[in-house]
Amino acid sequence: MEEKILEIMKSVFGLETLDETCSQENCEKWDSMAQLNLAVELEMEFDMTLEPEEIGEMKTFSDVVRIVKSKMEA
Amino acid sequence: MEKSVFVFRNNTVERFFPPGYVYSGYDDISVIMEDADYYVWFYQSPVTSDTISAAEEIKAYADKFSFILSRIDDRKNVLALTMEPFYAVPMTEDDYGIKEAMAAYNQVLFDMEREHANVKVIDFSEFTSRYNASDLFDWKFYFISQMGLNPRLSKDFLAWWQEKLGSVALKRKKCLVLDLDNTLWGGVLGEDGISGIKIGGDYPGKAFLFFQKALLKLSHSGVILTVCSKNNEADVLEAWEKNPFMVLKREHFSAMRINWNDKASNIKELAAELNIGLDSFVFLDDNPTERELVRQMLPMVSVPDFPEQPYALPDFFKGLVQKYFKVYSITEEDKKKTEQYKANAARAQAQVSFTDFNEFLKSLDIRIRIEAANEFNIPRIAQMTQKTNQFNLTTRRYTDSDLRSFLEQGWQIWCISVADKFGDNGITGTIFVDGNRIDTLLLSCRILGKGIETAFVKKVLGILKESGIKEIVSEYIPTAKNAQVSDFYDRCGFTCAATLADGGKTYSIVLDGADLQVEPYYHIEVI
Repeated sequence: MEEKILEIMKSVFGLETLDETCSQENCEKWDSMAQLNLAVELEMEFDMTLEPEEIGEMKTFSDVVRIVKSKMEA
Repeated sequence: MEKSVFVFRNNTVERFFPPGYVYSGYDDISVIMEDADYYVWFYQSPVTSDTISAAEEIKAYADKFSFILSRIDDRKNVLALTMEPFYAVPMTEDDYGIKEAMAAYNQVLFDMEREHANVKVIDFSEFTSRYNASDLFDWKFYFISQMGLNPRLSKDFLAWWQEKLGSVALKRKKCLVLDLDNTLWGGVLGEDGISGIKIGGDYPGKAFLFFQKALLKLSHSGVILTVCSKNNEADVLEAWEKNPFMVLKREHFSAMRINWNDKASNIKELAAELNIGLDSFVFLDDNPTERELVRQMLPMVSVPDFPEQPYALPDFFKGLVQKYFKVYSITEEDKKKTEQYKANAARAQAQVSFTDFNEFLKSLDIRIRIEAANEFNIPRIAQMTQKTNQFNLTTRRYTDSDLRSFLEQGWQIWCISVADKFGDNGITGTIFVDGNRIDTLLLSCRILGKGIETAFVKKVLGILKESGIKEIVSEYIPTAKNAQVSDFYDRCGFTCAATLADGGKTYSIVLDGADLQVEPYYHIEVI
């Protein structure tokens, strides 16, 4: 799943390389529009619905993994 | 080169357009990007439960659109999307305020389109009508990012948008190649006989009848219809003549190959006969093996899958038009095309009976009209720069707006219409002269082979000479398709000044003393 999420983030941010340390802080492509696009792509890929609060919480790669995992287990 | 595009919007729409577009602020018309190549106006219905204020807001959007138009350079295109309802707005059943306001807003867009040559309205309902209201709009994304349209639809929207851009730029296919058995009628003519094939009457004949009528309409819009069928030609001719339900008959097809040869070779022959590039062909056949053969042998021909059930033909037809044959507006030239291609076939046959080519040309009674560009022919001239590939010296693609700006800069642009005893080919060529430089020279392949191309150029050089110009420079820019004109300027008496590494050439000709004589059997009229 981490692999898939990395792929999605790369394509949403338009980046060739991206690793697990990626966060809103250190990635300039991760702006509010990218945040929205990331949320939609995750919802479509993993066939689930993210709550606005969860979308707001996604600030680092590990946040994204944690939130997607919790949705999949629920 | 990437075009730069500026989008006026009232909601978040970045996700729906290709990367690189530039956006206004939300409902902000105070800043206009001046150097955009074209503009998009995409205002979506306001989201509120107060229908009266929503209706007023929509009215204000229309005023804003008019205001923007007055401030945009009228040589640049403005693509305006209609406003469509996204979610169930009325709170009570007799509440039509928003619907009325939207209808009035769309009416303003259409009025503006009529009044301004640079405005093109794009019917957004074509996209929204594919979805239920609940799929079109998502409250969550509206509240967190002011998305007026469900972000999950972005891929589909983008594909639709590209299609629309394609039709605005006039890149449609030219020729449809049709199989007969189980494609234009149900059953097999060779087995079921003239009265046994299914056309008209009950289903499935009804569905095939619908399909034939739709294709006839398509041919009126300028698409060339041809036949490629494995049948006995005599049987087919008889069926066309004797089956009373037949809508498409011999006279609707510009050319045909009814024989037992392979379809790839037949299509290649059709392309040669009609003088149309294979990449402008679309092939329809119910037989998947035939489709596969053509896909493999002629990869430049478009081969859509054909529906297995006749009742699916109307939807199939709609998709076909959408994908291959949609143009923004149809010119008069398009409508006459079937006639013209048929007259060409008659000309080719006449050619056979003359041994002296000059005698043949004389007998054609060729009448050439050279006309300066004006409001009436600009759309057709721009269309030719978009579509002409073979006889095109520089292959520069221009829009209506480009032409208007060239004329303003003092360029001289002429177009040529050709008629002969077999028919009128209409406007079929153009030349753009910027000072003493020929920027663009192209002719439709329909009129080639009669010396008209050199007569046209010589006549234009004569006009330029009279206006006091001493020397003309020109160039040939090679493409994958225009090899046939690589030595055209040599043939017209130009001197090659340089040959470039890519095969391109630059030329010049001194007008004083140049041979600008045109054979007297071309009756030339300059307007």
